[in-house]
Amino acid sequence: MEALRKSAEADFDKGVSLEPDPVIEVYKKDVDRTLLRENLKLTVEQRIEKLASFMQFLEGIRGSAQGLP
Amino acid sequence: MTKFPELIRALLSGGVEFILVGGVAGAAHGAARATYDLDVVYRRTRENIQRLVACLAPLSPYLRGAPPGLPFRFDLETVHRGLNFTLTTSLGDLDLLGEIAGGGRFEELEQRTVVADIFGSKCLCLGLPALIMTKRAAGRVKDLDAIAELEALLEEKRKRNKQQP
Repeated sequence: MEALRKSAEADFDKGVSLEPDPVIEVYKKDVDRTLLRENLKLTVEQRIEKLASFMQFLEGIRGSAQGLP
Repeated sequence: MTKFPELIRALLSGGVEFILVGGVAGAAHGAARATYDLDVVYRRTRENIQRLVACLAPLSPYLRGAPPGLPFRFDLETVHRGLNFTLTTSLGDLDLLGEIAGGGRFEELEQRTVVADIFGSKCLCLGLPALIMTKRAAGRVKDLDAIAELEALLEEKRKRNKQQP
């Protein structure tokens, strides 16, 4: 699984080059890269599980917030 | 709330040929953004549509946002005649896409995918550069944040790959 993950990581680029978009570059300054770096340490499966758990947390918060004045 | 792992597992165990795209594909690559539905591009062959219909039938698929009680039948004929479907299922919201802007159909996208090992199966996920290109092609203002995050992620991955022997 680790080998497959590494080969998938290596395949990500596939020689595609993206021209920088000045608008996107402005938005990019606000991206929290520490979160991305943490996620990159996980396997693909762990990243999806983490997303599911985050969404469950948001749902819980939303449910609790319904009782707020 | 969409149960992403369960929905992906259902598609994989049903033998459906699909490519993860959209927010969940972004998350699979390492994005940290919330997303509410599962977007997949499915292969539009008769056999695959049959598998898709068989796999989703137990999950009561219905048109998202449509009033209840419409004579909607999620069957081979419906999928064959349609292309993109935004559905609710008992496992959450699912966008079944026959094609996507800036990316095309399954066959065109397939060359730009990576294989990820998820839940014991091999799952096709749109590659990060292609994902960025499809988001750019969609041209939606609401995607600007997401594109910036994906591009930052691509930079981080490239940095990481350079550092690793």
